[in-house]
Amino acid sequence: MWAALAVLFVGQAVWDRVLVEPTYVKNYMPANKAFSAGLSPEQFLFALSGFREMIAGILWVKADSFFETGNYDAILPVIRLVTWLDPHQIDVYATGMWHIGYNFTDEQSRSDRRYIPSAIALGKEGAENNPTTYEMFFETGWIWYHKVDDNYSQAVNWFKKANEREDMIPARRNLLSTALQRDGKIEEALENYYKLLDAAEARFKADSSDYQARSGRDTIEGNLDTMLVRMSQRGYWGSKSNWMNTIPYDTQPPFDVGFSVKVTVPEPRVIRFEGTWGVRPVGTRIRVILRDKDYPMAEPGGMKWDQGTAVNLDPPKDVTFMQDQLYVKNLRFDKTCNLAKDPTMYPFKKDDYEVEFYYNPRSSPPHIQDKFSWNGEGMTDKNFLNTEIRPGTRVMFHKIGLTRDMLLRRGQYSMSGGSLPTVMTTDYIDAGAKGTEDLIDIPSLRSQAPPTAK
Amino acid sequence: MRVIFSIAATTIGEAIRRRVLLVILLVGTLLLAIAPGLQVLSARQERTVLKSFMFGTMQLTSAAIAIILTVYLIPNEIDRRTIYTILCKPVRRWQFLVGKYVGAIGALGMMMALMTFISVILFYVMQRDAPVSELAGIGQVAVMYYVQMCILAAVSITLSTFVAPLVNFFLSGGLYLVGTLFTSVFETFEQNSKTPGLVKTIAHLVGSLLPNFSRFNIQNSAINSVQTIGSETRYYVESGVYGVMYIIATIIVGMLIFEKREV
Repeated sequence: MWAALAVLFVGQAVWDRVLVEPTYVKNYMPANKAFSAGLSPEQFLFALSGFREMIAGILWVKADSFFETGNYDAILPVIRLVTWLDPHQIDVYATGMWHIGYNFTDEQSRSDRRYIPSAIALGKEGAENNPTTYEMFFETGWIWYHKVDDNYSQAVNWFKKANEREDMIPARRNLLSTALQRDGKIEEALENYYKLLDAAEARFKADSSDYQARSGRDTIEGNLDTMLVRMSQRGYWGSKSNWMNTIPYDTQPPFDVGFSVKVTVPEPRVIRFEGTWGVRPVGTRIRVILRDKDYPMAEPGGMKWDQGTAVNLDPPKDVTFMQDQLYVKNLRFDKTCNLAKDPTMYPFKKDDYEVEFYYNPRSSPPHIQDKFSWNGEGMTDKNFLNTEIRPGTRVMFHKIGLTRDMLLRRGQYSMSGGSLPTVMTTDYIDAGAKGTEDLIDIPSLRSQAPPTAK
Repeated sequence: MRVIFSIAATTIGEAIRRRVLLVILLVGTLLLAIAPGLQVLSARQERTVLKSFMFGTMQLTSAAIAIILTVYLIPNEIDRRTIYTILCKPVRRWQFLVGKYVGAIGALGMMMALMTFISVILFYVMQRDAPVSELAGIGQVAVMYYVQMCILAAVSITLSTFVAPLVNFFLSGGLYLVGTLFTSVFETFEQNSKTPGLVKTIAHLVGSLLPNFSRFNIQNSAINSVQTIGSETRYYVESGVYGVMYIIATIIVGMLIFEKREV
């Protein structure tokens, strides 16, 4: 009897460890950290006694009130706690990563980019914990696509994973093609559109009275048409057939954008960027980054956004990273960034800083891509064209250095009698006007001189 | 087998007449009845909070009933000396123990069925747009809780063969807490590379020997209905088999101890 008993006890232990435990850990177990941090004693007891999801729900309700009062910092630990208590509350993950990625801004509404790696890490964790539904894959892809707005291959990977899930909303499947285009994978984007069109046609044929099925099909058809026209006009097929020199495609010859810039520091921690960009249509946004010269994980035009799986809700407070956009109007830009009001975001504790100017045609709106094409084939800059920092893409990139004394107006740059810190490109052209005026110059036939009679 | 069922039927009758159990059941039922009031907490989270509260109440109430019901089953018979009138008949001690256990889980099943029924009705009334699968989910969770409570009852009745009721109450309650809540703690010990080898081995042994009640806490997937669990049915079967194996092993221990005990 004792032997049978021993066999039974060993058997149940083996059965549990080998068969039951893996599924339990994967699908039902809360995160280990859930019980070790952040809960008040009564919440802890409640969570222990089987009300885990209820505590998570109530905490999330509490977070709502923090949203309403603008107490954004208080929301971060709640997000962490709720996702530990109940790793399957997808809306907490989705809202949490959006909040971390978008809502921490300075006085001039610039996002604190130091949080983005954490937002991405939270998205990755959410996707890992909820692998059967598309939502977290889509949301993580969206952060890459829209917020990082540079490394589109990551967005493509996440959107592909989302599309593999059965519950993916048909209307959202289109986004993969857009991301593929931005990643320079034009034919794959086209192929995806054809695949989506086939599926939409099948849905429509199954129920032709379904309005959603009809509009879904029409949308994909429209997108497909537009893409084919763009591929023709931008010389995509031509480049494959060596017709580029014989047919006047819109993207040839490459257009010189004529970038030039002057950076000045009119007041401590206030930086002014003035310069030129020879593209008349509105829609150009040049990325400008000001950061410590030795910023950890810095990369040209950004940083290493995917920094692993650690969701660090308290990014390092002793490093400076500012990223903004310079909007071009009337062939020039002029923007003043006042960083003086946010000393925690921009502590300026290091001696040396870098300012980067970066323009990637893959992020451009379609009407500008019609000239520059997807990968910048139709764009050049006689001084700052760069084909190395983003392999396969022709981007504009320029980097200048600033010192702490310049930024804080100290020493020889002191406000009382010192010189105005100024750094500019050699060919900087003083545009004279600010470029922030309301009126946009649009050359028209009327503004041109009338043709002379022969 | 007839003997076992006779004892079980008597035990069910006794359990239903016990006021303390009825009071606990009443409290649990009242808690379930106020659950819809929690919905004012949040528009977005109302379904989550409602379900979680229902499951939490059901689990706690069932655990309290399981422990209080079983800790007294054997000691009461001995104290009142009614056990002699049973054991002088052609009834073996193991049959008596098993009969008591079957009766206890029968009574427990009836009480849990009542709570599940109330939960389903309340949920249906409050969430009329909820799909049938969510209502079925409540039933699935209740069944898994029932297996959990059967293990708890087995542990408790086994302890009752050699431990006084009050001590047994705390021992069983403690084991339930450890088996439900500290699984992740044991697993952290085992997985942490900094944990000394000896501690890891002890954690592994303890984690394997103690009843793993947490395996039956599947409410998370029922609460977050968007979550799809792969091989769900297989998991229910495998964890059910684990539960049955543990119950048999525990009851055998109880039988061996009870066989040698002087009454």
